[in-house]
Amino acid sequence: MLRSVLRFGLASVVISGLVANAQAREVNTAFGEVDVPDAPERIVTLYEGALDASLAVGVTPLGAITSRGVDTVADYFGEHTDLSELQIVGVPRETNLEAVLRLEPDLILAPAELPNEQYQLLSRIAPTVVPDTNPLTQDGWREESRFYASVLGKEDEIERVLAELDERAADIKSRIEEAGEGGNAYVVRWMPGGPMIMSSQLFATGVLAATGIEAEDGGLVAEGRPHSDVLSLENLSQIDGDWLFLATLNEDGEQALEAARQSSAFERLNVVQAGHVVPVDGQVWSSTSGPLAANVILDDVEQALLP
Amino acid sequence: MLKQDNASLAPKKAMFNGAMPAASPLRAPDGYWRLGDRDGTGLSLLIEKRSVGVNMLLAVALLLASVAYLSLGTTALDPRAVIQALAGQGDMMTVFMVQELRLPRLVAGCLTGGAFALAGILMQTLARNRLATPGIIGIDNGATAFAVASVVGMGVSLAPSAMALTGAVTAAVLTFGLATGSGTQGYRFIIAGIGVGAVFGAVTQLMLARVGIDTANAAYPWTVGSLNARSGGSVQLLGIGLAVGFVLAFGLARSLTILRFSEATARGLGVSVNARRFQILMLSVVLTALAVAVAGPVGMVGLIGPEIARALSTPRHVPVLAATLSGALVMVLADLLGRTMMAPIELPVGIITAIVGGPWLLWILMRPQRSRP
Amino acid sequence: MKALTLTRRVDTRTLIVSLLTALVAVSVVSLLIGAGSVSPSRVVAMLLGADDADARFVVWELRAPRTLIGLAVGMALGVSGALLQAVTRNPLAEPGLLGVSAGAAFAVALALVLGASAATLRIPVAQMGALAGCLCVLGVARWRGVGNDPVRLVLAGAAFSALLGALTSLILFFDQRSADEIRFWVIGSLAGRRLDDLLAVLPTIVVSGVLIALLARPLAALALGERMASGLGHHPRLIRALIILCVALLVGAATAIAGPIAFVGLVVPFVARAFVGPDIRRTLWVSLPTGPLIVLVADIVSRVVVAPSELPLGVLTALFGAPVLVAVVRARRLPML
Repeated sequence: MLRSVLRFGLASVVISGLVANAQAREVNTAFGEVDVPDAPERIVTLYEGALDASLAVGVTPLGAITSRGVDTVADYFGEHTDLSELQIVGVPRETNLEAVLRLEPDLILAPAELPNEQYQLLSRIAPTVVPDTNPLTQDGWREESRFYASVLGKEDEIERVLAELDERAADIKSRIEEAGEGGNAYVVRWMPGGPMIMSSQLFATGVLAATGIEAEDGGLVAEGRPHSDVLSLENLSQIDGDWLFLATLNEDGEQALEAARQSSAFERLNVVQAGHVVPVDGQVWSSTSGPLAANVILDDVEQALLP
Repeated sequence: MLKQDNASLAPKKAMFNGAMPAASPLRAPDGYWRLGDRDGTGLSLLIEKRSVGVNMLLAVALLLASVAYLSLGTTALDPRAVIQALAGQGDMMTVFMVQELRLPRLVAGCLTGGAFALAGILMQTLARNRLATPGIIGIDNGATAFAVASVVGMGVSLAPSAMALTGAVTAAVLTFGLATGSGTQGYRFIIAGIGVGAVFGAVTQLMLARVGIDTANAAYPWTVGSLNARSGGSVQLLGIGLAVGFVLAFGLARSLTILRFSEATARGLGVSVNARRFQILMLSVVLTALAVAVAGPVGMVGLIGPEIARALSTPRHVPVLAATLSGALVMVLADLLGRTMMAPIELPVGIITAIVGGPWLLWILMRPQRSRP
Repeated sequence: MKALTLTRRVDTRTLIVSLLTALVAVSVVSLLIGAGSVSPSRVVAMLLGADDADARFVVWELRAPRTLIGLAVGMALGVSGALLQAVTRNPLAEPGLLGVSAGAAFAVALALVLGASAATLRIPVAQMGALAGCLCVLGVARWRGVGNDPVRLVLAGAAFSALLGALTSLILFFDQRSADEIRFWVIGSLAGRRLDDLLAVLPTIVVSGVLIALLARPLAALALGERMASGLGHHPRLIRALIILCVALLVGAATAIAGPIAFVGLVVPFVARAFVGPDIRRTLWVSLPTGPLIVLVADIVSRVVVAPSELPLGVLTALFGAPVLVAVVRARRLPML
């Protein structure tokens, strides 16, 4: 009985009525051409990177999913918008479609790996754009940011933001060179059994490269993976570069450093003895995010290398 | 080792419900209605009054739960608006919410809940153990491992739900294969299943530890069970499967009732025990596999549903229909709770059923043994 | 498996001596082999006096502690498996299946939420969780006398583990940071564990060891039947309670150091009984070297299969242990204890 009701329902509802916007542009997405409104006003982001790019170009979405943190978006967004105005529509593990619907969005910015089933429903609530990018490249996040900005009609703004970012990175780079502090670096997460090395093809390592610090992964990270398996402590010398960035998901980076220091193998590293270990916010450093997060990374680098 | 059900003390007449000796005058036994030929020349059907009442009760409860399910959520709707929306009337948003978001999810919930519970009661009758579920023989873990493999991209291009189905079947085949020779009875089968499940569980953990947190997040619904991640195709498949499975289970009902007794009794009553066992087991496994492909591992429903059905029914029959309805009811209520409790954040249904079902299970274990099986 | 029953004639003393020899050999191999560049020949050269700082560090700072911890974990798991099976008269009682792992994981998740990180995790947290989980399950089981029914005990463990698992999932659902960290704890490993960790649980291990030594004889008497044991002047209830406490302490200690290590506690006593029969004291003596033997072999394998990384030990023991479990149930009638 329910099934027949369902079928009847599918046939009778005219979904296009939900999407009431005459003026539209076509955008090329992972799910084909999508018509998006010229001047979207009610935007929902289902991805941290999309929220980042929107805020960077001065567009404040109505709703967003929480970051990997607890029940709000990542802290660094707080500098750019009033977080209390942002409606939470789910967590990265489950999007609440009803909450999305309730906001009556006219545009939904979705992540690259959106499952097809979710897309089918979301795209009937509002035009849903899914970028056709590979996040596992150093510049994938730029493509993503450009994509979201262009959907928002902010092509010029995002170019300006990215150019400013490059300028700042170049400035930091020259200052690092002056200070003679450059070189190579590894970005790792410290686990009880040893470190996991972040791929050199990530957002954070890409930003790092722009400051002249060459982030490496020693060939330990398999293609298409964000980080290596836990490296044996016997092979720790493989991450002994000029700098070591310790990404921690704790608010307190020193605590993670303390944990790593308990390992005698860690203490033996030249980079540790030189005091070149930098604890950084893993929430920003190990995600694929946008221009705002890139600035946070530049802050970290500046603070650590150019005190 | 496995205690024989206390139900073996149930009146023997219950077992002949399909073919009562043609004694005249034909009166239905106490607590039964008799349908069919009044002259006693043809076949007649005995219908237990109590089971009719129980099933009606459960159906009404399910209906009420469904209305609540369609009405409540992040946005609460008036039940009248829901009924209008079902007919396609009202504002677009309400119609969309009811028809496109809540109704398909409700249908998926009913079907998975029913299938898990039906599979559960079949398995429990077979193992003569009220705590046996297909999940315990590793099917859930197999499905999870394969679905997670699909999500984390271990070189497979099948959709997670198709992979979950494959995984469930693989785990079942492995368990069958490993337990053959010792018969499908009792603990060997369960132990083989626990072993298979442990291996798949370990592989899942390993896969989750090797990918980034974003991918691990994407795989999460498949590790706890959620109705948010369902795919239309798998729901249709389950719908067909449950319909067929239910008819088959009904056909096997008499054998099921007899199988609760000792093997010798069943043989004496003309049931080919091994063949029946195998059929029931297959049915249970297939139903679980289809349901897991929709919702992921929500196996606890396979314990709670049958338990409710047994508590309500007389011990004369295996309450196949009541278990199915109870399972659907539990699933719908659990998902309703998950959707509304912490709105706007939705809790996966698998977490709710486990948190409710865990204490329930422990209570059953601690409860005095005089209760019915 | 038939061969195994025949070998029962093997003298227990000879068996234990040969197991100990094997254990020493494996321990040496454990010092020689690793995921890194320090090859066995370099180790030997270093031991013979060559000046090789790297080799000295790797052997004495990394491989030796890990070998010692492997020995302790293996002994704890093997012995507690044998005890638990004897005291519940249940050949399927596996400490890991009885709420220990789930309890420890729950405690760890809770601690992570409250701000710890997987790398700094305090050992006592996991130990308390493991203890609580195990006691809850056994409490449920003994309460209703299901301890005498193998399948029901396993099911009680499964039910309780499922409940704890759901609560853990719930915590992790809201706290992504913990979810991210716990992924690496639940697979169990000996890598990077320090001697300090072992020292932290050493008191509990020693206390349990002494208790077990004292209780071995009454426990053996208990196997003759409750009346017989009472007649000999023992207190069956007290003995059982103390033994279960020991098991919870030992398994809690092992889980706290290494994370959940599946199946060792189940397989070791099975193998031991296959050699020496059901006598609990002999089973204990044989389990004592067999547990670490299995753990160390698995650990050595875990270092070399995916070098320069390592495979988590818990995954390996599950991959090895499950087939053994299935083979055992397939090939033998489960002996009633």
